[in-house]
Order: sequence, then C-alpha cells, then structure tokens
Amino acid sequence: MGKMIQVTGIGKVYGKKEQSFTALDNVTFTVPEGASVAIVGKSGSGKSTLMHIMSGLDRPTSGAVVVDEQDISSMKAKEIDSFRAQKIGFIFQSFFVQANETCYNNVALPLEIALIGGAKRKQRVLTALKQVELDDKVNQKAANLSGGQKQRLAIARAIVNVPRIIFADEPTGNLDTVTGEKIEQLLFGFNRKLGSTLVIVTHDDDLAARCDMQVHIKDGRITEITHRKAGKK
Amino acid sequence: MKIRDSFRRAGRSLRNAKARTLLTSLAIAVGAFTLTMSIAAGTGARQYADKLIKSNVDPQSIYITKEKMNDSSATMGPGGLKEYREDALQYGGMTYKTLNEEDINKVRSIAGVERVLPTYFISAKYVSFEKIAGKKFTADVTTYDPTVLAQVASGTLPPLGQQIGTDEIVMPESFAEKLGIASKDMVGTTITLRLSKVANNPSEAEIQSLMLSGRFDEIEKRLTPETKDVPLKIRAVSAKSSTSFSASSALFISDKKADELSEFLTKGTEQYKKYVSATVTAKKDVDPATVKTDIEKRDMFAMTAKDLQGLIFNIVNLLQGIVAGFGVLALIASVFGIINTQYISVLERTREIGLMKALGMRGRHVRRLFQYEAAWIGLLGGVIGALLAWGIGALINPWLSSIMSIGENRILVFELLPIAGLIVALMVVAMLAGWFPARKAAKLDPIEALRTE
Repeated sequence: MGKMIQVTGIGKVYGKKEQSFTALDNVTFTVPEGASVAIVGKSGSGKSTLMHIMSGLDRPTSGAVVVDEQDISSMKAKEIDSFRAQKIGFIFQSFFVQANETCYNNVALPLEIALIGGAKRKQRVLTALKQVELDDKVNQKAANLSGGQKQRLAIARAIVNVPRIIFADEPTGNLDTVTGEKIEQLLFGFNRKLGSTLVIVTHDDDLAARCDMQVHIKDGRITEITHRKAGKK
Repeated sequence: MKIRDSFRRAGRSLRNAKARTLLTSLAIAVGAFTLTMSIAAGTGARQYADKLIKSNVDPQSIYITKEKMNDSSATMGPGGLKEYREDALQYGGMTYKTLNEEDINKVRSIAGVERVLPTYFISAKYVSFEKIAGKKFTADVTTYDPTVLAQVASGTLPPLGQQIGTDEIVMPESFAEKLGIASKDMVGTTITLRLSKVANNPSEAEIQSLMLSGRFDEIEKRLTPETKDVPLKIRAVSAKSSTSFSASSALFISDKKADELSEFLTKGTEQYKKYVSATVTAKKDVDPATVKTDIEKRDMFAMTAKDLQGLIFNIVNLLQGIVAGFGVLALIASVFGIINTQYISVLERTREIGLMKALGMRGRHVRRLFQYEAAWIGLLGGVIGALLAWGIGALINPWLSSIMSIGENRILVFELLPIAGLIVALMVVAMLAGWFPARKAAKLDPIEALRTE
C-alpha cells in the first residue's frame, strides 16, 4: 500500500519573537493510501492546525508535507488551490452549506471550481446526492434541511469530485448520537467504497477508535500513534 | 470557476437579497434615467435642428455680414449710449456694420459664387386683402428663397431654383386661418402692400428758409411721408410647417420686387444700398467652405449652412452636457451605494467565501464573483432607469411637442443603440465600484473565515 500523506518534522509557530506561540512542534507521521486516520486531541492541542497544513489550507513554518507524492509545502498558492480543488474533500463541524442555494447547487460548487461542466457535472451531482439519500431534495434549499441532512449534503459535496483524501473536522460534533452514527457509517462507507483516504479530526474517542489509525496530539506534539486491532469495528 | 457559472452564482445570491439589490440598483436607476433622458433629448434636438436647417437653408448657401454678429464692435442689446457710425445700421435695437454695394460686387466676383442676394428689410405700413375690404393688417415681408421648396396648402410654386414672378406673392396658411378664408379661395386674389417712405427730416434752417420764401407746400411735402401701394397676386398659400421658420409667419415676394421696393423705401436715406446681411449661394459643385474663405479674405464675415448646424449643435451639446452632468453626479452617489452594499455582502458571507476558497477557488475568481454581482446591480439599475425614462418620455412627448409648438416632431428620441451602450457602461462602472469589496473578499483567509468559535 502506497503512502498517501507523509508529514515530516513539521512545526508551526504563530507570532514573532517573545510573543510567539508554537502550535505544532516536530510532527512526523505517515498515512497509508485508503486508510482512515483520526487526529485526536483536546481543543487547543494543535489538531486543527495539523489538519489545515495536511490539506494545504495552511503552510508549516518548518518541515515538509508530501501528499500523493506532491510536496505541497513548496507549492505556489495557485497550485495549492488547484490541488485542493482536484484532490481534497472537506467536511466541517458546522456543515458550512450555502443555505440559500439548492442542494443541487451546493454539491455542484466543487465541480464548478474544478471546471467540470455539462452533462458530467449533472450526472456526478445527482449520483452524489443519491449516495447520501438526498435525491428527493435536489431542488430544495439547504436552509430547509435538518442538521443531519445538512451534514449529508456536506458529505455529498465532499465526495462529488471523487477526492483522494476527505478531511472531516469534528463531523458529528453538532449532531445527536443517532444522526451522528449515520454520518459515521456514510464516511467509513465511502472510505472503503471509493478508496479515499479519510482523515477525521475529533476529540470523540469512540469515533477515533473506529479508524484504522489514531494520532494523539497534545500541546502541538504527537504523544502516541495507535492502530486499530483487527476485527474490531 | 467559469465565467458563466460565476455569473449565475452572482445572480442567485442577489436574488436572495431582493430588497437590498433593488434599493441599490434604484440609486443607479436615477443616474440611468437622467442620462437616458439627456441622450434622448440630445438626439431629438439634433434631429429637429437638422430638419430645421434642411428645410430652411440651402446647404450651398452662405450667410454673410460685414463683421461677426457677436463682435464687440457691433454693440449688442437695446438702449445705452453708443458711438455713432456712418457705416452702421440700427435694427431691432442693435447696431450693425453694414455691407455696401461694393462689398456685394466683391462677393459676386468670387469664382464659385452662383448668386448674391442682399437681405432687404421691407416694412410695409400695412397690408390689405382683396377678400377683406376695409381692414388693414401688419405683416412681415421677406424675399422668396428659391433654394428651399416649401409645402403648399393651395396654388403652385415654381420648381426648385426658380423665383416667383415679380407681381406674385406667397402667403402662409396661418394668415388664411386668421382671416377665416379657405386657402384655395385666397389663391389668385390680390394683396396690397402700403409702403411708407420716411422722408429725410429737414433741418430747422431748411424749414426756416422755406418759410421765409413762403413755400409752405414744400414744407408739407418734406414732412409728409411718401407712400406707395403695391398690389400683388397670391400665387400660392404655403402649408403650415413646424420646421420652416418663415413659411408660417411672413409674406414672400420675388427678389426683383424686393430690390425695387427696397430702392423706393431707402432712396435718399442713409440706408440706401446698405444691407445688414446677404445670402450667397455657391455653385452646385463648389464647396461652400472654400467660398467662405474667399469671402473672409475680403474682410467680411461668412457662415455656411454647416457652420450654422455646428452652432446649433454646440448649444444642444452644451445643454445635453448639463443634464448629463446631473446624471453623472447621481451615478457617483450610486457608486458609493454599491461599494457599501457589497462590503456588507462580503461581511455577511465571510463563511461562504471561506468555504469556496477552502474548496480551491482562486482569489481572483472570488473577486470576479463579487464584481459580477455588482455588474448585475448595474444592469438592473440601468434597465430600470432606461425603461422609466422611455415610458415617461412616451407619455410627455406629445405634451412637450405641443408646448414647444414643433408639431409632429419629438423632442425626446429614444434610440436603442446609445441606450444599450449606456447600460453596458453602467455595468462597467458598477463592476469598478464592486472592485474594492471584491478585493476584500478575494483576500480573505479561509482558515479565519471558517473558524467556528
């Protein structure tokens, strides 16, 4: 199995000199292709910063990030934008769906950004909505959806462009247990079916335990990397 | 993101804030309305002026005076103390330097000049009509211009370029209406002009010497104006026209008759063979502009039909510019409206912008999205303003035409192309205004924008 993400000695420092704050310090680990990884830590531990750097939203102060054999820490801004558009899907705790747009247009957004149009776009959007069981709400505005439906819509938006990696930042944090369970099933399902690598940022130990690999972070450092025991899922 | 997709997304997000979009675009609509009106009024005025010139002035004709009309030496305005000049004529409260016979002959000798027609002032004491016995009227008498063919209500006019007969006269339809007689009944009847020649005022010494010699009849003769009745046959009644100046307000006689009557009226006076102005006609294949240069070389001032058109167009352009200026002011105000609205829009949609950037949308594409929103506002405002102007124009046009008494001519003329151009220009202006907030959107940091806490 190939290496999807290689994080080598990255550090992130905010501010300058006396007022500087170290968010990440010499973080190194590797995520195999198609794996599911949980980045676990309390709030303020640096787990979100790590995700931002791994997904190309932020740059590390030091170290290198190689994703799918591309060193994104040395890319130009334009290349990183295009890299995210082509290879990354995002799911957020607060959903971030466009409330005034229809479900269709919410899901179409990444394809518009990636310059995929015409019949291909339409077919992909409808397929993605069907996969999250929102095919009866194609022309409904996102504002009219429930919390669980909004997160399913966000998942459809994340998978529509068949990304190599899906980053999920506390995907069940704003949902009740039953709805959260459904979202987890969908995420792990796509991880297996599409072969997309799944990176989940969470402080929920139960969710983390369902991932193949757990990266524990405290005060910007990796404290432990654990692997799921076979058969327990 | 493709341009088409950006345009659609921009349009949709505007539809989600209908009231705000409408209000912002109304500010542009005010500017668009004023500018559309100024374009329409300018087009209308130019078209009307063009018609006026075409139906009153032969393109080959050149109007000449001794000096420029608004020259400081030709003191304008009534009243006041003016220096007496031998070669100047008083007319309508203004003093003009005059053209004399020598000047006229100089112009006649220029190559390319077809004919020179001095402007005669024939003031009839009164006119009387054969049809209405015993009544006296006053009316202006002018020379018939054979280079412009007027419409006739009754009777016939000679073909273009030919004068009417010496004993013939053309009267306007409005006179017939005033008299209450049908135009066709007037044709063939006689109009009599009563001319009255003001004698040179005899000096006191002259009167004294005549008194001493007992020649009282001579004194009376010197003091009584000499009069003459000129009967003329009505050849035609010219139709009312909203574009022809004189066709509706004066009696026309032939140039020969005018010369003869002028001779009678001015002989022995200071005004004899002196003319305020003259009309020169250039030969058909000669450019009036070259004739104009030749005339000006001979120390006279000349104005071609083109100059006249330019003069009128200058005035129209100036007035149009003033109206357009107000429109531009309104537009400048609306530009700040757009900037303000779009800034609020960017603030409101911080997360949406962050999301789009996280999903890999380029900063300049984000900027384009917001600029297109501004362009939509410009388009909406432009269309509303133009439609409003067009609608109101259609309503008030007949009323405007009637108070300006220009008949069927329209003072507001709406043409599609300049209005479409205006709307496109407004979209560009709106896009430029939207640039500042759009740049703010483009520079937004997605991590900051997506922070939930």
